[in-house]
Amino acid sequence: MSSETDTGRGIGGRVSGAAGRVGGAAVDGLSTVTEPVDRALRPIATVYNRTLGGYFGEMNGLQFVLLVGAFLGLVTIPFWGNYTLVQATWLACIWGIFAMSWDIQSGYTGYISFGHSVLSGGAAYTTAMLLNNVNAELPMRITIPISVLIALIIGLAIALPSLRLSGPYFSLITFVAVLIFYRLIRPLSEYTGGETGLGGIETVYSTDPVMRTYAFMIPMLLIAAALLIVARSNIGLILVAIRENESAVEAAGINATKFKIWSFVLSSIPMGIGGVLLAHRFGTVTPGAFVVVDNSIEMIAMAVVGGMGSILGPLGGAFLVIMLEDVVLSGFESEIKWSILWLIVLLILVFARDGLFRKLWHGLDRLGGDRR
Amino acid sequence: MSVLEVDGLTKKFGGLVAVDDFSFEVGEGEIVGLIGPNGSGKSTVFNCIMGIYGVTDGAIRFNGTDITDDSTHEVVNKGLSRVSQESNPIDSMSVAGNIKLFTLPNSIVSLRGGASEEEIYDYAARIDIEEHLHEMPDELPHADVRRLEIAKSLATEPEMMLLDEPFAGMNQAEITELADQIERFREQGMSMVVVDHNMGGLMDLVDRIVVLNNGDFLAEGTPEEIAENEQVQEAYLAGEGL
Ligand SMILES: Nc1ncnc2c1ncn2[C@@H]1O[C@H](COP(=O)(O)OP(=O)(O)O)[C@@H](O)[C@H]1O
Ligand SMILES: [Mg+2]
Repeated sequence: MSSETDTGRGIGGRVSGAAGRVGGAAVDGLSTVTEPVDRALRPIATVYNRTLGGYFGEMNGLQFVLLVGAFLGLVTIPFWGNYTLVQATWLACIWGIFAMSWDIQSGYTGYISFGHSVLSGGAAYTTAMLLNNVNAELPMRITIPISVLIALIIGLAIALPSLRLSGPYFSLITFVAVLIFYRLIRPLSEYTGGETGLGGIETVYSTDPVMRTYAFMIPMLLIAAALLIVARSNIGLILVAIRENESAVEAAGINATKFKIWSFVLSSIPMGIGGVLLAHRFGTVTPGAFVVVDNSIEMIAMAVVGGMGSILGPLGGAFLVIMLEDVVLSGFESEIKWSILWLIVLLILVFARDGLFRKLWHGLDRLGGDRR
Repeated sequence: MSVLEVDGLTKKFGGLVAVDDFSFEVGEGEIVGLIGPNGSGKSTVFNCIMGIYGVTDGAIRFNGTDITDDSTHEVVNKGLSRVSQESNPIDSMSVAGNIKLFTLPNSIVSLRGGASEEEIYDYAARIDIEEHLHEMPDELPHADVRRLEIAKSLATEPEMMLLDEPFAGMNQAEITELADQIERFREQGMSMVVVDHNMGGLMDLVDRIVVLNNGDFLAEGTPEEIAENEQVQEAYLAGEGL
């Protein structure tokens, strides 16, 4: 029974080594129970590994159960969840999109963006401003593509000049970009609605109750699948290599700048989609809820909590944070709630720096024993 | 025709002239030794060729094409590859992963592609590290880390390799083995420039030696000629021996 199977063998072998070795003894004891479970489930996992594994990454029986179980639990939420949980799920889907989008750019390349809310905010404001300043009757099939396009343009406007700079300067520029956007909203209040924001956006409540959830969940799942495919491909490998050793990437004959800009494109498009969904979630777009720099930091927190550089980790992190915020801690007043949340983030940063879901994933890898 | 032409290369770092109006050429299938005491500008010449540093003056041509202002990945894709003096593998990727990275296409839409496992094995086998493909770089002894650097370079399918102090830190047996491997690359048609700070490992290996001293061209000739050259001996007298 080897816990190291995944570490060296996979060609893009991920960090896992050190994290996997820690706490070995306890896990080895447990695995006498879990190994048979894993063996029983392995045939299904094997079918998956042979067909889709190459695109999304291979897994063992236990990991397969975790993912399929989470997936089934999620898609059936409208049928078993109460109102609070269902509403929290909508928001978790949107923030999951943000956290995954942040991850494919910042988590993978290591060029940490502190300003991703400028992308989602830009898309949300585009939708709101089109409806308020151009024509209130514009259909979504017009407002949505334009809004996502604007997010992409903002993304490129930030990425093109700044990604040639070294990490800290890049981070600072993204940070300043949000501050500028936020400050511009008030002087331009004639068009932006200032502090009170812009309403008049069709909300999700106009659709059938069950479909409301899927309006958020389906885009989230499609984005998750697309980003996973990218992350498990050569492109993901190159983005990680940029994070680990940019000069090696250039020496390999690969244009690192081009790939950094591409990661920003891959990030901006889903950020725009998430921003539009958020606009249609609330019907009103305000600087406080859509642009403020805290939003950018919350995305990072979710990604870090889940395990950055893994796509699914940040998605899980987003669900965890939103469920804590809106369900578990919903009784506390906002200030206290956020103090508790940030404290939890801090504890995870100190004690589980690789992220909770990455730890869980590697734990299952050990519990499942050898895959072959 | 020369494959690589360095023509009047000058590189200044602020007031420091690291390389001063230096020229040399490498012909097809040739192994040229570039020697000089520490700090004489050898690595800087390589860095200028590879587009890591912009040149202050002069021109660099590869197969007749001007590559003076190319960026690193462009130079590599034209068939020139450098093995740095310092090893810098990606520690979170296995030896195989490190080699694979060097075979990936420079395309943002290529999801698959790059070398197959057999091809990666072949690159590793050319420098005798195929046994270590699944190990992590930080588990390898120094000499194998150096070999990994060469395997990565081979994986870009270069026409010419620039080797910066490939023998540094190796014992005599390892030096002999590596010299044999480099000799084999030449038999397979590779042109090479091998940098070393002295002539020890180069005597039997190279066709020709170019000597750099304080950034200036000092001498050029067969290994025997250079060994007997008085100016060269003088340049080395201050520091270590030839
Ligand atoms: N990036 C740099 N910035 C400033 N000075 C440098 C830089 N790189 C090299 N030098 C200087 O240029 C000279 C030549 O260095 P180098 O090319 O590394 O010599 P060699 O490889 O022959 O030992 C040295 O004086 C070194 O200090
Ligand atoms: Mg040097």
